[in-house]
Amino acid sequence: MARVQVEQRSNTAGNTLIVMVGLGVAFLLFMAFLNVVKSGNLLNESNLLYAALIFYAGAGALYLGFGVTGTDSYVRFASLATWAGLAANTGAVIHRWYEAGHPPFASIYEMLLSFVWTLAVLTLVAERKYEVKVIGTVTMPVAIVGVVLMQLLRTDVHPLVPALQSTWLHVHVTLAMLAYAACALSFALAMMFLIQDNVKTETFLAATSLFTVGVYAGVLTRFEKWGGLSLIAWNAQDKAEVFLQRGVRLFVVVPDLGWLMLLVALVVASPVVLYLVGRVKQDESFYTIANRAVFVSILLQLLALAVFLLRASRGQYASLDAEGLYSTSLAASPFILSGLVGGIFASLLYLLLLWRRNDLERLLPTADNLDRITYKTICIAFPLLTLMIAAGAYWANRTWGSYWSWDPKETWAAITWLVYAGYLHMRITRGWRGRRAAYFAILGFVVVMFTFFGVTYLLPGMHAYA
Amino acid sequence: MAGASVSIRREIWQTLSSIKTGVILLIIVVILSAAGTLVLQRPVTDADEMQRAYSPQTLALLDKIGLTDVFHAWWFVTLLILVSLSIIAASIDRFPNAWRYFARPYKFPDKPFRRALPTQTHIPIPDEETGLVAAERSLHTLGFKPERVVGTDRLSIFAERNRISEMAVYIVHASLLLIFLGGIVDALWGWRGYVSLTHGQQTNVVGLRDGKKKDLSFAIRCDGAGQENYKDGSPKKWWSQLVVVQDGRDVQKKEIVVNDPLVFGGVRVYQASYGPTGKLDKLSLSAIAGDGAKKEISLGVNETAALDADTDVKLAEFIPDYVVRDNQVYTRSSDVENPAAHFVVTSKKSGKQVNFWLPPIEGFAENDRSPYQFAVDDLKMGYFTGLEISHEPGQWGVWAGVVLMCVGLGFVFYIAHTRFWVVPVRDEKGKLVLWVGGTANRNRDAFEQRFQTLTEKIKDELKTEVKSAASSEAQVASLV
Repeated sequence: MARVQVEQRSNTAGNTLIVMVGLGVAFLLFMAFLNVVKSGNLLNESNLLYAALIFYAGAGALYLGFGVTGTDSYVRFASLATWAGLAANTGAVIHRWYEAGHPPFASIYEMLLSFVWTLAVLTLVAERKYEVKVIGTVTMPVAIVGVVLMQLLRTDVHPLVPALQSTWLHVHVTLAMLAYAACALSFALAMMFLIQDNVKTETFLAATSLFTVGVYAGVLTRFEKWGGLSLIAWNAQDKAEVFLQRGVRLFVVVPDLGWLMLLVALVVASPVVLYLVGRVKQDESFYTIANRAVFVSILLQLLALAVFLLRASRGQYASLDAEGLYSTSLAASPFILSGLVGGIFASLLYLLLLWRRNDLERLLPTADNLDRITYKTICIAFPLLTLMIAAGAYWANRTWGSYWSWDPKETWAAITWLVYAGYLHMRITRGWRGRRAAYFAILGFVVVMFTFFGVTYLLPGMHAYA
Repeated sequence: MAGASVSIRREIWQTLSSIKTGVILLIIVVILSAAGTLVLQRPVTDADEMQRAYSPQTLALLDKIGLTDVFHAWWFVTLLILVSLSIIAASIDRFPNAWRYFARPYKFPDKPFRRALPTQTHIPIPDEETGLVAAERSLHTLGFKPERVVGTDRLSIFAERNRISEMAVYIVHASLLLIFLGGIVDALWGWRGYVSLTHGQQTNVVGLRDGKKKDLSFAIRCDGAGQENYKDGSPKKWWSQLVVVQDGRDVQKKEIVVNDPLVFGGVRVYQASYGPTGKLDKLSLSAIAGDGAKKEISLGVNETAALDADTDVKLAEFIPDYVVRDNQVYTRSSDVENPAAHFVVTSKKSGKQVNFWLPPIEGFAENDRSPYQFAVDDLKMGYFTGLEISHEPGQWGVWAGVVLMCVGLGFVFYIAHTRFWVVPVRDEKGKLVLWVGGTANRNRDAFEQRFQTLTEKIKDELKTEVKSAASSEAQVASLV
């Protein structure tokens, strides 16, 4: 009897979530519609993107709800919402393509547009074909971050400099997006494999904590004396970064933000420290404290994000290198922003695992299947990576007269290729299956992320356009 | 003694051909390449910037180890050669086996093999021939070409597909070696350089990357170059009208743009840049005589034009961005910000010269003493077109390698060598059955499914066979 009651309650609770998300989506669409009526232009890119954002957010909420409660009807509605979001997203891509006259791969804004689109498609494919239903829990938040970032970046169609006017560029970038999306999928699958392979929840705790520590360590490279944090200055009129001279960006120092980031860094580091202490002392009670620390760290991360949003989006700040006050903008620091949001998502996903591990295990495919699908995904990603590098080399040869010049992006693409080649060799000739293979797949994706983001922002080179 | 050297050689060979060595070498390549992207590299980064980025001691140390030019350092090249050797050794080591497998397919499964094969089944049959025919038909419908294997005392069937897949790994490795070979050829015999030409200029000397010069067997002339802009002023297109001149004749003409080079005798000429030289091309002037007669002239630097029978004017100097300090005219930059021109008007009869500047500069103003008044109508600056010139004889190896690699990877990942064997045998109870077995070297799931389909098909075929045999028997019986 009690059991029935519980089930009924969870059912009604389930319906409540659907109704709430539905109402939320409807409300936002209505507001957007009012706005459209005022401006009189229905199908422009920003409206379509806004619609996509609403649907993706709805899908994300439902996927999360599914992850937490395991109610099947959520995933049906989540799928529907993803389809709707994809439709709007496709509209935005087409609109952009039509307006710009070239496929949307020329700037980081356009690449994000294509990336989010690919991600949504792959989510639906994984869900339909491989029955990996909860994958949306991971990919939808990424899609949402992507769309939000797009709102911040400059959207005006930017003409292509002569070197970029080549069909080979489109081939190269399309392949890169497909390959990277496949790598992302293999990463998510490898993670799920580790869950199904009974990797201890504490290990995920340590990994999550290390990831967030990495994020905040990255942010703190901008730490200045007296607790400030330097951000790239932004010229609101030109919608562009401010340059002191060619290639040298102007930084402004936001006072006290550095201290906050340092504090959060210490808190997000505490779970991994507690975990290590617990392991050394072989005392499991430390893990319980560590889990509480994760909870606290999420609150603090949210605070850090909120303060960052407030301080970076308005106000005038002094610079160490130039006289006067300058403003900055969220658009000037897309990587800090996505790092902060990514840290929060990673911690939330850990909480999901901590609280709902049994449900997750019930809903995910078996470890063997996940292992096989991960391998299959890499079998798709690797040829795509090869073709991507080849197309890039061919394009470079037509443009600069040299197919390989060891610039950082090229070198890191080659490193990515080698890492996955290593994975394939170990798996095929040495029979590496299961956990070792999964760790290798995760390493591969970390290298991909560095190639995609790290190289662009940390290392110099001729891939300056992207 | 000889034995020891043989065993050492053996050991070296084994080390070189082992997968472990290969993977360790790859890890070292990865680490060193990563280092090469973290440390600033010469000659891409210029010397000043290197000095700004590192302290003198650090820089000296980095230079000494070669970390400032990782990808051309002897140890990096050695490493790549070792990787190639390791690939070659591993392939030679494993190839004979694979080749035997490839060249002499295993057609009749013997008893131990039949017992050990994981995917197999038994299908009861009335007699050998019926069973074999049913299996052949089923294999045909699945798109295989079954083959009857005739042994000393029995018949069996063998069918296979995509045997090439066993060779795929070697194709991929060979393609990698081909790419390396192309790269080595280019590193040894290839070169890259840069030339900048202005309108009408011709050259056969290329400045190479390392500062040396190279003479070409032909010359390149620029018959025109230009830039087209977008509405917002950013460049949309650069073009150059180029002519290849050999032995005094124009042998090839092409308008090149970025991404579309000119190729002549293995040498490629690319549009790389376009910009102002900071020098004057032509200055258009109106000269107004004392009687109001107007004459239009056009002058380059050091050119002279006649104004009337007696007087001519020479453009002595052109400064794109001038500034006056201590009664001297200086050049501030090569951008056309604040241009000034220095003219000399000469009278042939009297030999009298008048110097003046346009616009008039204080202290230099001798403008009013000139018999003519001058006004500048138009200013045409000189532009250069920047051309990258390269010779890469090895690139065909690289492209062939890339194509081969894609084909090989296609085979490796998506094409499975599938084999089926069908042998009529007696089972443990002595009943006649068809032993059906199969194997595939990858994608086991799809193979298992296919095996299921095959056995279902064979069973169906047998049923219809038996039925038709029965019905024909019945017909015979009714006829009788």
